[in-house]
Amino acid sequence: MRKSRLVLAPAALLSAAALVLTGCATEAEEPASTGSTTEAATEAEAETFNVYALLPQGTDQAYGTTYLPPMEAAAAELGINLTITNSQYDADKQASECEIAVAAQPDGIILWPAVGDAVRPCLEAAAAAGIPVTVTNSDLFDADKELSAGFSGPDTYGQGVASAEIMCEIVGDAEVSIIQLNGSIGNSTAIDRDNGFTDTVAANCPNVTILDEQNTDWTKATAQQVASEMITAQGLENIDGIYAADDSIAAGAIAALEARGVDAADYFITGIGNTFMGNPLVAEGKLDGTVFQSSSWDGGNAVRLMHSVLTGAAGPDRELLLMPSVKVTLDNATDPSVAPEW
Amino acid sequence: MSNQSVIKMGSESKGPLGKLRVTLARRTEGRAVGLFLIIATVVTLTQPLVFTAYQVTLGRIALIGLVALGLTAVILMGELDLSVASTLAVSGVIMTVVANETNVLIGVLAALAASVVISLVNAFFVAIVGINSFIATLGMLFALRGFALVLSDEQPVKLANTDFGIAFGQPILGPLTPRILIFFAIFILLQIFVSRVRVGREFLAVGGNRQAAYDAGIPVKRRIFTGFIISGGVAALAGVINALERTAADPTAGSTVLLASFAAAIIGGNYLKGGKGSIVGTLIGAASLGMLQVALTISGVQVPVQEIFIGGILLIAVITDPSSLRAVWGSINTVIQGLKNSRAK
Repeated sequence: MRKSRLVLAPAALLSAAALVLTGCATEAEEPASTGSTTEAATEAEAETFNVYALLPQGTDQAYGTTYLPPMEAAAAELGINLTITNSQYDADKQASECEIAVAAQPDGIILWPAVGDAVRPCLEAAAAAGIPVTVTNSDLFDADKELSAGFSGPDTYGQGVASAEIMCEIVGDAEVSIIQLNGSIGNSTAIDRDNGFTDTVAANCPNVTILDEQNTDWTKATAQQVASEMITAQGLENIDGIYAADDSIAAGAIAALEARGVDAADYFITGIGNTFMGNPLVAEGKLDGTVFQSSSWDGGNAVRLMHSVLTGAAGPDRELLLMPSVKVTLDNATDPSVAPEW
Repeated sequence: MSNQSVIKMGSESKGPLGKLRVTLARRTEGRAVGLFLIIATVVTLTQPLVFTAYQVTLGRIALIGLVALGLTAVILMGELDLSVASTLAVSGVIMTVVANETNVLIGVLAALAASVVISLVNAFFVAIVGINSFIATLGMLFALRGFALVLSDEQPVKLANTDFGIAFGQPILGPLTPRILIFFAIFILLQIFVSRVRVGREFLAVGGNRQAAYDAGIPVKRRIFTGFIISGGVAALAGVINALERTAADPTAGSTVLLASFAAAIIGGNYLKGGKGSIVGTLIGAASLGMLQVALTISGVQVPVQEIFIGGILLIAVITDPSSLRAVWGSINTVIQGLKNSRAK
């Protein structure tokens, strides 16, 4: 009796694993064999590609959850068999996934770097194996760009610029002091947004003084804690505004202000993302402005860029497909064209 | 000592077959081997790439297993070392910072020296002050994470000698990279240490019954210091390897390694209360976990589903432990008996 249980328990789990493993393989192969009614689809069917997408997030995060369906839809439409991984922002895990991808010898690799500094070995391994790499969401550092065929995603530097432009506009000529809450350490998006914001503030509104800046992990909870500590350190009376590298961070900072019994609407606050969390704050007047980032645009175009590289539609130079950085303020927050996606 | 007596008596009374039975009963890797064979069979049938690209699979096993091997040294003594994840991160940062100022060899030595200091502090709090190792190393986990961030100025530290880092990640013996070779070298050394060297064998005695170990004259505190130095040193080595292979040290590295290492040790049949377990078991546990992870990655299974399977394997490893089964069976019997008695009334 006990022996049979001992065998049955692992066997049941492993049977389930086998079903998942084979199920996924079948799912991945389906687009290759599914016919289509349109001529274009027939052409795409004739040319099917196997592509690995090495992502640092997936259904475990809000952005990834809405990024994946358009990506998979575009892949199905263009005849691409996608294998998607999620390294959870662990550079070592992503490097291991890259080794697996190179060993599988796909037609291409779509890379969203977990840590920008750590992807060079992956890019070199792919180049040595003759596998083209395109980058999505967060671009590579300049020294590594030559090893990729293109980038699609938000203009992360431009987003920082746009957020700073909103800040400069609402501040006017007043002398104000703000605190700055960045994204996670080493993340190229966080670094680019930081540079875009600080460069623009220095150039366009030097009357804005950045008192202090700290990193967060992109979450509201951490941002609230970090903002609260910064407010304590700088003194609430010395702070006139906040720049947040993301709407979740902005929401955390606003919560930290409100916990001190002040009205966030009295402060100059800008963010980036126009998310489900940020857009209502703009509509309420608590967040003065944000920058629209479309996860569906991001996910879909990651696959479209890879397809154009694989079919030769892309030129010999590194392709750049940048998402427009649309500013969202109280004037257009309820406009359907900037309806939040994540 | 008592274990040895039992084995001797068993072997004398039952001959070769009895000796084999006693030996098997002593081993804790049985369930790990069973799980490994089942996983290997399923993976072979569904994702043969796991085996055809074996060097990649070995790389993943080494990634998970290296820290787990060191961790086993303290687990055998009934202690925990949660700080391995941060030790990995901080040693990578130290190696890179020092290497950028001097050379890679000095950087590696600096990282290993730092790990010894960290381990001594851990062991001091556990063995001398008497703080529970979970709490002491949890504190160290946070402290080192902060130290790594301060030291790196809160951003990844790029290795100046990028070419060396890239070359370090390349195969040097057939398809085997330095990471894989170091992993197997550490496994062999630790296996010999724990099974053939008196000091290492005493780890099990310390974990099995600490008072008895004291009474038998085993220097328990020194053994705890040794165990933590092994655990920290191996974690630091893993951090150095990671930083070299990636050509950069990430101060937030190791976020997924802690749970994976514990999972490998538990799947390998090691008892968290100490006294039972083996380095071989951890190797088998890491191999099972590594194979499963590679197969699930190739299949494109999303992380939450992967976690369900890894959690399931972990649960199976725990609940199929004979003493757990006996306890569960005993509880069920008690409930059934209680129901019968109440009906009889």
